[in-house]
Amino acid sequence: MAAVSAAQPRASKTESYVDNKRKEDIRQSNINAARSVADAVRTSLGPKGMDKMISTANGEVIITNDGATILNKMEVLQPAAKMLVELSKSQDAAAGDGTTTVVVIAGAILKQCLSLLSHGIHPTVISDSLHKASTKAVDVLTAMAVPLELSDRESLIKSASTSLNSKVVSQYSTLLAPLAVDSVLSVVDPEKPDMVDLRDIKIVKKLGGTVDDTQLVKGLVFDKKASHAAGGPTRMENAKIAVIQFQISPPKTDIEQSIVVSDYTQMDRILKEERNYILGMIKKIKATGCNVLLIQKSILRDAVTDLSLHYLAKAKIMVIKDVERDDIEFITKTLNCLPIANIEHFRAEKLGHADLVEEVSLGDAKIVKVTGIKDMGRTTTVLVRGSNQLVIDEAERSLHDALCVVRCLVSKRFLIAGGGAPEIELSRQLGAWSKVLHGMEGYCVRSFAEALEVIPYTLAENAGLNPIAIVTELRNRHAQGEINAGINVRKGQITNILEENVVQPLLVSTSAISLATECVRMILKIDDIVNVR
Amino acid sequence: MAIEKILKDDASEEKGERARMASFVGAIAITDLVKTTLGPKGMDKILQSTGRGHGVTVTNDGATILKSLHIDNPAAKVLIDISKVQDDEVGDGTTSVVVLAGELLREAEKLVAAKIHPMTIISGYRMAAECARNALSQRVVDNKENAEKFKSDLMKIARTTLSSKILSQDKEHFAQLAVDAVMRLKGSTNLEAIQIIKKPGGSLMDSFLDEGFILDKKIGLGQPKRIENAKILVANTAMDTDKVKIYGARVRVDSMSKVAEIEGAEKEKMREKVQKIIAHGINCFVNRQLIYNFPEELFADAGVLAIEHADFDGIERLALVTGGEIASTFDNPESVKIGHCKLIEEIMIGEDKSIHFSGVEMGQACTIVLRGASHHVLDEAERSLHDALCVLSQTVNDTRVLLGGGWPEMVMAKEVDELARKTPGKKSHAIEAFSRALVAIPTIIADNAGLDSADLVAQLRAAHHKEGCNAGIDVISGSVGDMAELGISESFKVKQAVLLSATEAAEMILRVDEIITCAPRQREDRM
Repeated sequence: MAAVSAAQPRASKTESYVDNKRKEDIRQSNINAARSVADAVRTSLGPKGMDKMISTANGEVIITNDGATILNKMEVLQPAAKMLVELSKSQDAAAGDGTTTVVVIAGAILKQCLSLLSHGIHPTVISDSLHKASTKAVDVLTAMAVPLELSDRESLIKSASTSLNSKVVSQYSTLLAPLAVDSVLSVVDPEKPDMVDLRDIKIVKKLGGTVDDTQLVKGLVFDKKASHAAGGPTRMENAKIAVIQFQISPPKTDIEQSIVVSDYTQMDRILKEERNYILGMIKKIKATGCNVLLIQKSILRDAVTDLSLHYLAKAKIMVIKDVERDDIEFITKTLNCLPIANIEHFRAEKLGHADLVEEVSLGDAKIVKVTGIKDMGRTTTVLVRGSNQLVIDEAERSLHDALCVVRCLVSKRFLIAGGGAPEIELSRQLGAWSKVLHGMEGYCVRSFAEALEVIPYTLAENAGLNPIAIVTELRNRHAQGEINAGINVRKGQITNILEENVVQPLLVSTSAISLATECVRMILKIDDIVNVR
Repeated sequence: MAIEKILKDDASEEKGERARMASFVGAIAITDLVKTTLGPKGMDKILQSTGRGHGVTVTNDGATILKSLHIDNPAAKVLIDISKVQDDEVGDGTTSVVVLAGELLREAEKLVAAKIHPMTIISGYRMAAECARNALSQRVVDNKENAEKFKSDLMKIARTTLSSKILSQDKEHFAQLAVDAVMRLKGSTNLEAIQIIKKPGGSLMDSFLDEGFILDKKIGLGQPKRIENAKILVANTAMDTDKVKIYGARVRVDSMSKVAEIEGAEKEKMREKVQKIIAHGINCFVNRQLIYNFPEELFADAGVLAIEHADFDGIERLALVTGGEIASTFDNPESVKIGHCKLIEEIMIGEDKSIHFSGVEMGQACTIVLRGASHHVLDEAERSLHDALCVLSQTVNDTRVLLGGGWPEMVMAKEVDELARKTPGKKSHAIEAFSRALVAIPTIIADNAGLDSADLVAQLRAAHHKEGCNAGIDVISGSVGDMAELGISESFKVKQAVLLSATEAAEMILRVDEIITCAPRQREDRM
């Protein structure tokens, strides 16, 4: 025992950190660069956060509130600042939402680290303590979380609308939130209930109308018009749909070829042959009862020619051309059909069936909708509308965040309160924990706890409330055991945030804390920047 | 009349003292650069590329840092080379080797200043290195006979290697991963069979080891997503059409139907090729090149799983682990070796789908899937894990194990010191210098951890005065501790390689007395 107590003070004495000027400078400049990035996005946090307008190098203008998008477009050069951008991307990949939160937390922790370093604590000691603190924080969060059933549609909608409330499209959250929930739930495979592949949800953007007109389509939407050449049909009931990967145009070989025409009469014959060739193909198609053709784009030759379109129109077959190869998988999955790569393989069993395929005019643009698909695969399409391109893009990003939120809930079925409540609670519990720790560790954990208060502070600040009054009151309420007390931005006061329906998935909060800590630790451990090839 | 100019215009020549100075300065500068990354509390460096994209790498790996530096000093280049060789040979100790060589040179510089001939220094260094190696090999522990103990040795080595890297927080998890992977290899050092896949997302703790092989590709449309007892044909062949590859080859026809016939014939050729491939009795076909829609459909009709556009590395590895061969002609089904595996299925890793081959022919094969917050973390994790795997696979072959934490250096230093006392003549100064250079390593480890190095090293030296002492630096508690109890071990092979190649490099640089820089080759003015 005596040995332990003797070792203790010496250990803390020798842990003091002496370093030369250059390393200190590098670390300082890294931390400052990272913090300035964090400050740049800080004001966009929360339901009353502001948007940023970004004008990109090629003259495009983007208005967004999404942290990941802002940072992505900022084109920072400083390596440490770049790491923060990466951090936000990782959060986007891991949880899809909370991309601003994660950067703001990282910035706040770095600020605390700066003062820890100036006290002469060795960076690796800080780094280890932060790791411990973040593990503990995740435990605390998990303990706070409320389990959720997927059948509880209300709660899912609540969390989706929490995410949407901080975006430009917040006034439409009543429309978009249920839409996001429905589309995710409809692609959940009962065999693999924890997995959601967001690629099964296709978002089609179309200019015109307002965000109000955004709708969920049980079926397919093509952002193209049906082929109108030669007056082909644009509406087809009881559609039999074929997805073809070959071309309906005059034959072309891979080897170079030329047709030698020696006299005038042969010209006629060639034209006729060409016509017969195409007609033959179309007859085969018609014979299977197919009446809607989706034709894959081809780089080798024209997918369709005027001539073939004319015949197809005559055969009353609706044609949608230039389907991208990447989309084929989604389409075949939805239609529950197989792509056809050769006219010889054109058989009735490879067709997909739908009640209705029709071309719909939306303003001056047209789209093709396929609805009432028989044996439809687990896919959904969301048609996003908006009055201008900026709104549509932002709506798409917001919808993506909302979809991610729902997906998080599907894979990890726990909810947690929003509005800064979890952060304050973490800060309180970690603060209490730090008091029982020994040495430098306790000091570092306390700083970590203090750093977490940045979230409620910023929320209040962005909402035009008095941040200090709000944060202190929050602390007070949490100390009295109201673990769900949070900032109600709309009312401008502190309420039980669970009752206000402000909830978010647990995964978003936990991954924000652990990713931010990991990033900070990495920045702390760097002592030099070396220029290389 | 002065002598005619011997060298070209831009070429330069540095002689004697100046040349030696230049080498010393260069080598010591490099050493100082990587020195801070040494040990469990070493720091990381950002490598910022000045090339396009300004890519950023964060690393603690000596070899990676040195490899990417712009260097114009010949002596510094020698050090970088030894670090590379160390990386290829044993995989770890890349920083240690450079630091030791640098320290040897730093000591040599002082001796040269004291008017001792470089050749005398070299012969002293040689004697000292020989003596140090003997001292080490006498103190090794060899648990070859005892499988249980040997495995715990491996775990210790893996933990020690990983503790200086980014994986240090999860070293228990990764040490287990690395040991399991290396044990599967059953003594071969062929790290090819261990595949590392990096997937952003999740945390490092979510990384896992999977037996079998994972190919990061998608299964073709309409094809089976799960095959049991798969017979796999791995190929590198064009699946569009077999083109006649004669320049200017073309056909002349006189009607449209003939063109259609040729097209039909081309299609037919493709179909024949597919038939031939299917005739091998396979149910999985992996191609290096694209498989176009038409053959893809044919495969789907035949119920064959076809994977297109696998990367080159991927198919070579796949052929290796499934015991097949990469085929490019399909006329003789008997002569083609077909790979086998028990099960092919599609799995989800994070957000992406991959194809998993399990129960493969080559039982050694396995895949480590790394998960982590960002690409920086993943890249660094891969480098760290690679180091651990290298060291472990070397240790499996050469089962001799040493303690770590500055212990080997202190043991060597003690023996070398004794040798110095016994040796008459100027050489003894060089031998003494060698021992000082060895002690520099524990000193740097302590310095990096922010500890009082002078105090600790003195304590360590005193502790080592006793026979059979296991004392080393315990960085975590900041004191001298028993390395055997703390479970800090290192591979003998790595230490020996560090010692010998560092000495050799120092020797080589010491021998130099003239640097001739050739005139840079003129770039032709074509721009």
